[in-house]
Amino acid sequence: MTQETLALSARSLPRLNWPRFRGAGRLLANGHIRLALAILVPIVLLTIFRPVLPLPGPLDTDLRAMMQPPSLEHLFGTDRMGRDLLSRTLAGVQISMFVGFAVALVALSFGLIMGTLAGFFGGVIDRVMMAITDIFLAFPSLLLAIGLVSVMGTGMLPVVLAISLSDVPRFIRLQRSLVLSLRTRAYIDAARTVKASQFWLMTRHIVPNTIAPLLVATSIAAANAILVEAGLSFLGLGIMPPAPSLGNLIRDGQSYLEQAWWISTLPGVVILLIALGLHFLSDGIRQVLDPRSRK
Amino acid sequence: MNYSAAINTQSALPASNALLQVRDLHTHFITDSGTVKAVNGVSFDIERGERIAIVGESGSGKSAMAMSLLRLLAYPGKVVSGEINLAGRDLNRMSERQLNQIRGHEIGTIFQDPMASLDPVMRIADQMILPIMRHLKMSASKARAEAIDWLARVGIPDAGKRIDAYPFEMSGGMRQRVMIAMALSCRPKLVIADEPTTALDVTIQAQIVELLKDLTEQTGTAMVFITHDLGLVARFAHKVGVMYAGKLIEFGPVKEIFAHPSHPYTQSLLDTIPPVDQPERRKLAQIPGFPPDMKLPMVGCAFKDRCAAAHERCFRETPELKSRGLAHRAACFLPEGLGEARRRDMEPIPTLARNSTDRVVVEVFNLQKHFTGRSLVPWRQPATVRAVNGISLNIREGETLGIVGESGCGKSTVARLLLGLDPVTSGDIFVDGTAQMVFQDPQSSFNPKMSLFDIIAEPLVVTGKGNRAERTARVHELLAQVGLDESYAKRYPSQLSGGQRQRVAIARALAIKPSVVVADEPTSALDVSVRAQIINLMVDLKRQLRVSFVFISHDLLTVSYISDKIAVMYLGSIVEYGPADEIFRHPAHPYTQALISAVPVPDPVAEEARQKVPLSGELPSPLDLPPGCAFASRCPKATALCRAERPVLQAYSGSREAACHHAN
Repeated sequence: MTQETLALSARSLPRLNWPRFRGAGRLLANGHIRLALAILVPIVLLTIFRPVLPLPGPLDTDLRAMMQPPSLEHLFGTDRMGRDLLSRTLAGVQISMFVGFAVALVALSFGLIMGTLAGFFGGVIDRVMMAITDIFLAFPSLLLAIGLVSVMGTGMLPVVLAISLSDVPRFIRLQRSLVLSLRTRAYIDAARTVKASQFWLMTRHIVPNTIAPLLVATSIAAANAILVEAGLSFLGLGIMPPAPSLGNLIRDGQSYLEQAWWISTLPGVVILLIALGLHFLSDGIRQVLDPRSRK
Repeated sequence: MNYSAAINTQSALPASNALLQVRDLHTHFITDSGTVKAVNGVSFDIERGERIAIVGESGSGKSAMAMSLLRLLAYPGKVVSGEINLAGRDLNRMSERQLNQIRGHEIGTIFQDPMASLDPVMRIADQMILPIMRHLKMSASKARAEAIDWLARVGIPDAGKRIDAYPFEMSGGMRQRVMIAMALSCRPKLVIADEPTTALDVTIQAQIVELLKDLTEQTGTAMVFITHDLGLVARFAHKVGVMYAGKLIEFGPVKEIFAHPSHPYTQSLLDTIPPVDQPERRKLAQIPGFPPDMKLPMVGCAFKDRCAAAHERCFRETPELKSRGLAHRAACFLPEGLGEARRRDMEPIPTLARNSTDRVVVEVFNLQKHFTGRSLVPWRQPATVRAVNGISLNIREGETLGIVGESGCGKSTVARLLLGLDPVTSGDIFVDGTAQMVFQDPQSSFNPKMSLFDIIAEPLVVTGKGNRAERTARVHELLAQVGLDESYAKRYPSQLSGGQRQRVAIARALAIKPSVVVADEPTSALDVSVRAQIINLMVDLKRQLRVSFVFISHDLLTVSYISDKIAVMYLGSIVEYGPADEIFRHPAHPYTQALISAVPVPDPVAEEARQKVPLSGELPSPLDLPPGCAFASRCPKATALCRAERPVLQAYSGSREAACHHAN
C-alpha cells in the first residue's frame, strides 16, 4: 500500500495504545470478547455458587437413582452410583479452572521474569536459558506430563507442576522474543543517555509493552492446561476418583457409552465450551490490541 | 464487472492531442469510521512525452490519485466517478481484464520501495521476461535479449549475468533501476512513478532522476511523477500539479509556478524550504494548523483555516481551478494569493556574536569504532567494519555542527558514540556536561504506554532532579518552550502528529539542560511544512538556550541552513570540515562537490543552469577499504597517487580542512 493510503487508514483507526483503565470499554466492544464472556461467565458463576444451589453434593450417592438420563431432577443425569452429574461436572470445572489458573500464573510469572532476563541481558544467561528451554521443548508436552506424574504420583499439585513445566519454556521463549524486539527501540536509547538503570529500563520500558501479547498467550495456555488435565485424569494419572474432574468423569462414562451417553458426553461438552471461551478471549484481546487485524 | 459498461469504453470527451485526460476524478476509501474522500474532483491533461509532477504532503491524496489512474488502489479504496481517457478509451469503465492489457503495456508503474515491488523469490529474468513476451508478443529468447538490453540501458553493469540474480542480491539503487527497466520494457506511453527516489540516498537519487529523464526523452514516454520534494520537481518536471485535500489547487508549467505561485498553499510550501543562498538568514515560512479531516464534508476552500489571506468568501464557496495566464491555473479567489502577507513571518535571524573564546563543549579526538564479526575458524582474521575511522571534531557552546554523508558513512555511529550508547574502539570523546538525543523515527522514540508527562520527566526522575512539584513545573516550561500547551502532558504518544512528536522529543532532550543535543535525522520523517516548523524551533532554541546541536542528516539544504559548521563524512572519515556557508558555496573535496550537485534545488531556472556532476557508482563495501583514498573508486579526479596513498585532513583556504590530494 502507498504512503498516502496508509496515512489515511491510520487516521481512521482507533488509537493504538491502551492507557490504564480506558481499556474496559474497548474490550467489551469486541465481539469475540463478548462471546467469550457469554460462555465463561455463566460457567464460572455456576461453579462458584454450586454449594448454595439446590444440588446434591458431588460425592452423594443415591442408589435409588442410578444411571438416570437427564431429567428436570438431574439436569445432566446420574452415574452408576446415582451421583448427580451436574454437581459432579461443576465440581470438576472447579478443579479444571484451578488447574488452568494455576498453570497460567506459574507460566506467566516464570516466563515473564526469565524471558525478560534472557532477552535483555543476552550473552551467557541467554544461551544457558535457551539451551534448557530447548531441552524441555524437545519433549511432547503431554508425554512430559505423563512422565512427571508417574514419578511424582497423582493429585492436583503434580498435575499443575507437570503442565507448567512444559508451558514455562514456551513462555520464556515468547517473552524473550518480545524483549529482543523492544530492546533496540529508540526510547530505550533515550533512557540510556541519562544513565537509567537496567532495572528501570526493564520495569518501565520493556515489561509494560510485553504484557498484552503475554496475556493472549496466557489465556491459550489456560485452555490448554484444562485440556491436558482432563487428558491426564482420563488416563488415570491426574485427579483420582472419587474426586470428580472433567477428565475422570469422561473416563467413568466411557464403558457405558451405549447405555448412558450422558455420563461422558455432557462433561465433554463443558470442556469444549471452556476451551472455546478461552480461545475467543485470547482472540479478542489480540484484536483489541492489534489494530492491524481489524478491517 | 459491469458488462454493458465493459463493452462501451469509448470516451465521451472530445478528441484531443492529449495522451491522457483525467476528468473530475473522485476516489473514496470506505472505512469503518466513515468515507475518506481521498481524491475530490481532479482534472488534468498529459501531453505525449510530458513529465508532470504531482506534489503534496502526506494525506493530500496524491498517491491515491495516481493509483486511481490504473485502479491499483488497495482495499478499501474505490474510484467512485470520473473519466480517465487514454487515447480515446475510458480506463474507468474498463473491466479488470481489459485494464490488465493496459497496465504494464501502455502504462508502466514505478513504486517507492523497490524491495516490496519486486518479488523476492523470483529472479529478475522471471519477473521481466514474461510481461515482455506477453505484451510485445515476443519469443522467450527475444524477450530475454530485450530485457538484457533494457537492464544495460538503465546502467546495470554486466546485465547479461545480473538478469539471473535475485532482488536481494542487489542494492536499493540497483533494484530501483530494475524497476525502471521493467516499467519501460513494454514501451509504455505513460509511466506513473510514485515517489521513486524517496527510499534512496541523495547521490543515488540524482543518478536515478537523470536516468529517468534521459530514457523518457529517448522513448517519448510521458510521466506522472508523485513526490513531496519540491527540489526534485524543479529538476525534473515540465509541469507541476499541487494537491491539497484531494484537489489540485494549482497546475501549470514548472517555471511559471516556481516563479509566480498564486495559491497561498503553493506560496507557503515554496517558502518552507531552506533557500540555497541567502545573504542574511531568515526564518522559514510556517503553515499553521493541520490539513482538514477528509471524512467530513468540506464547505468553502479546504485551505481556509490555514490561510493568512482567507476572507469571508472562502468560507462560503469553493474556489474552482481557474486560468492565471498561459496554461497556469490556480484555485484561489485572490489574484495574488497571499500577496503582501507572503513571507511576513519570515523574520531575519540575528546572527550570534561568536568568538573563539566560547567554551568548547564537545571535543572528539581520533575517534574509531570498529565492528568485528566472528571468524568461523580461529586462525583467520574476522571481518572488521571500520564504521568510524579516526575523526576529530570540536563543538563550542551554542554552535551547531552538521554531519552529512550517504547512508553507511558512519554518521549515525558517531551520534551513538557521542551519546555514550556504544563503547568506542579507540580515541577520546570529551563532553562538558551531558549529551541528549532527538531521534529520526517519531513512531518508536516514545514508550507508547507512558504519558507525555512521564516521557518528558523521565530524564529528571532518573537523574533524581527536583521533587514532584518542581518536575511538573519543569515539564510545563519545556512544553511551552517547544510550543505545546500544558494539556499535552496528559496525552499519550499515539495521540500526536509527527511534528508534535518531534517537539516532545526535543522537550525530553532539553529536560536536564544538556550541553549538546544530538539530532539524528530529526526532520526526515516529516512533511515539508512540519519540517519548517521543527527547524525554526531548533533555530530559536539554539539562540535562546545557547545549547549546542549536532545535526545529522542527508538533507544538505537543511543541514547547511541550520549549521554553523559542517563535517562531510565518507566511509567513516571526515573528508571536509569547516564553516557551513563556505563549504556549501565552494566545496573543496570532490565528494562534497558531488553531494551538493546531487541535491535538487527548488528553483527550475537555477536547476537548469547548474552543472551536474552525478556521482557514478555506489558506496564501496566498508569491509575491504582500498589502501588509498576511500573515494578514489568514484572520484572523477582520481589519479594513481589517490589509489596508493590515503590523503589526510589538511588545512584548506584558512578556515577549513579537506582530505584530498587535489584540493590544495
